[in-house]
Amino acid sequence: MASLPKRIIKETERLVSDPVPGITAEPHDDNLRYFSVTIEGPEGSPYEHGIFDLELFLPDDYPMESPKVRFLTKIYHPNIDRLGRICLDVLKTNWSPALQIRTVLLSIQALLASPNPNDPLANDVAEDWIKNETGAIATAKEWTQKYAQAKE
Amino acid sequence: MANDEDYQYSSSDDDFPEQQYYEPLEHRDITNNILDDYEYLNYDTDSLESFNSDVDIVDGMAVSHVTNPNKKRSIEGAMVNLKYECFTTQDIFNNMLEKVDRLQPMFSIPREDIILLLQKYGWDEDRLLEDWTNKMDGLLIEAGIHINNEQKELPKSQRGISNRDFFTCPICCEDQIKETYSLECGHEYCISCYRHYIEDRLNKGNIITCMSCSLALKNTDIDELMNGPSSEKLMHSSIKSFVQKHNENYRWCPFTDCKCIVHIQDTTEFVEYIRLHYSPYVLCNESHRFCFSCSFEMHSPADCEITSSWIKKAKKESDNLNWVLSHTKECPKCSVNIEKNGGCNHMICSSCKYEFCWICNSDWKPHGSSFYQCTMYNNDELKTQTVIEDVSKTLKRYTFFYRMFNEHEVSAKLDWQLGQTVGNKIKSLQEKMGVSWIEGQFLTESLKILNEGRTALKWSFAVVFYSDSSHNLTKIFVDNQALLANSVEDLSALLQIKSPETIMEKKVEFYNKAGYVENRTYALMECGRELISKGIVKITN
Ligand SMILES: [Zn+2]
Ligand SMILES: [Zn+2]
Ligand SMILES: [Zn+2]
Ligand SMILES: [Zn+2]
Ligand SMILES: [Zn+2]
Ligand SMILES: [Zn+2]
Repeated sequence: MASLPKRIIKETERLVSDPVPGITAEPHDDNLRYFSVTIEGPEGSPYEHGIFDLELFLPDDYPMESPKVRFLTKIYHPNIDRLGRICLDVLKTNWSPALQIRTVLLSIQALLASPNPNDPLANDVAEDWIKNETGAIATAKEWTQKYAQAKE
Repeated sequence: MANDEDYQYSSSDDDFPEQQYYEPLEHRDITNNILDDYEYLNYDTDSLESFNSDVDIVDGMAVSHVTNPNKKRSIEGAMVNLKYECFTTQDIFNNMLEKVDRLQPMFSIPREDIILLLQKYGWDEDRLLEDWTNKMDGLLIEAGIHINNEQKELPKSQRGISNRDFFTCPICCEDQIKETYSLECGHEYCISCYRHYIEDRLNKGNIITCMSCSLALKNTDIDELMNGPSSEKLMHSSIKSFVQKHNENYRWCPFTDCKCIVHIQDTTEFVEYIRLHYSPYVLCNESHRFCFSCSFEMHSPADCEITSSWIKKAKKESDNLNWVLSHTKECPKCSVNIEKNGGCNHMICSSCKYEFCWICNSDWKPHGSSFYQCTMYNNDELKTQTVIEDVSKTLKRYTFFYRMFNEHEVSAKLDWQLGQTVGNKIKSLQEKMGVSWIEGQFLTESLKILNEGRTALKWSFAVVFYSDSSHNLTKIFVDNQALLANSVEDLSALLQIKSPETIMEKKVEFYNKAGYVENRTYALMECGRELISKGIVKITN
């Protein structure tokens, strides 16, 4: 593998030395561009007490191109689809090379705290969210209970 | 262009059209003397002088014609005048710049800044002016032209490219950076990160901002950073997205590598086109004719609906049909591989000299008098094969028509290649025979007519495929197809001639055959329109 750009080394070091509360991100030994990520469900959200697994990959052109992030844990959220893909502006059009892995993960955490059914990725979930918010929140809580519990 | 008489008969519902257009095959003996069929064209050697090149200005677009002035009908124009203009992105951008110059006195901000504003507003000056009167300075911050009030402005002397010792770039994290760039927001990055960042965004056409804030890079900043006129590329992309957003009125020419954009201000006329079963064809400045409605090449006698169904079906079946796409064929007699080298379907084996038809592989001789026998879809044959299931019958039928369609597409491409050599032929005519440029144009014109004839022929197979084969008009259409096919092959063969002397000797023949193809093309198109308007064509996929 080509040597790792300084930028990625620096970011990785900082993620370890100065971790973001509620978030872990560890690169794989065999591929330092591939990270295992966990995000704790934000307090007061339907995802509270859940721990969500994600994968994050830094493409060759990072940071010119945004990191690729995906939920591995099943989640009931209007901006996250069945395959765990996330609808988030900073991962798409609003990505800037000045943003970092850290800022992306914080944005995802914020997305869990405030779902946005008006900009949906999972249409059926978004519809449910708009029509019957209490019901949708209950389902989200249920799924968190069922799928997002710490292992061991 | 066309007058009412040209399409009058189409509105009279029950009568069959004039015999002149639809004369069935058996009434003619086209091989005997094509000239006999064409008295009404008045092509004799004396009238050749009137076969001049003249240039019409149609709605600001120069259209050159090399036609007999007596002949009114033309393929594109048997319909109300379609008003359109043809642009390139550069033309549109120049129009935008004129807009900028008009707006400048109202804004009293630099030209670069107005470009940014227009870019933000998708080049819609009305919307921009409305917001401008309401917001003014707010708008300048919103568009990234000025830094916001919380930001501190970097002194002018420190902006732009700086030479630094040991600067650490926050993007690549490399230290010991020498050259950097900053806007008035003070966000500073190394030149190579900036360049990479800009390069990625030039073809998106959106405003490019500082990597850390919403301050916009002006065209002058971009050019300074990239050390060249890169902002032009950005402007072109921006115009492209403008065209895409206004797809009601703008169309890209669908021909490969063509950069033309056709603009129609008023598309309300299209209703009338649809009512009369015409397609709104336009001609780009590179002489590509295409349909403004469906963005396909000229597809008459098929209409847009037939065209899109046919294409869809062809895509679906293409895997099964790869075999028809080949350009080489074995000689049916001696099995030598023969490559097709022009559009002409009359093949002569290079090894055994056997003459055969490219399409049906059989002896060419009987084709001489009735070429079209080979392309006649044999209905009787299918009727006897009642054992075959409907599905495979349909597929067989489709395969046949697709094959025909494809053969003519391949031929059209080969004719086009042939066209590349026409230029050389004209040159040698000029050199060896002292022929003037204008005089030599009959070759170019013949080629153009050949191509349009082929294209019409090609699409006519889609029409027949969807037509009720038992209907009399379908039969007439097929007869017309035959006449066109025959005339196209004749003209194609004529265009293979290489010797300048022979070409000049056969000049009259060129005129006559090209004129014949042109008329047959028109007749087939009109017959197809009749077929469609009478509901004999049914789309079933
Ligand atoms: Zn850098
Ligand atoms: Zn900035
Ligand atoms: Zn074109
Ligand atoms: Zn069309
Ligand atoms: Zn042979
Ligand atoms: Zn044949």
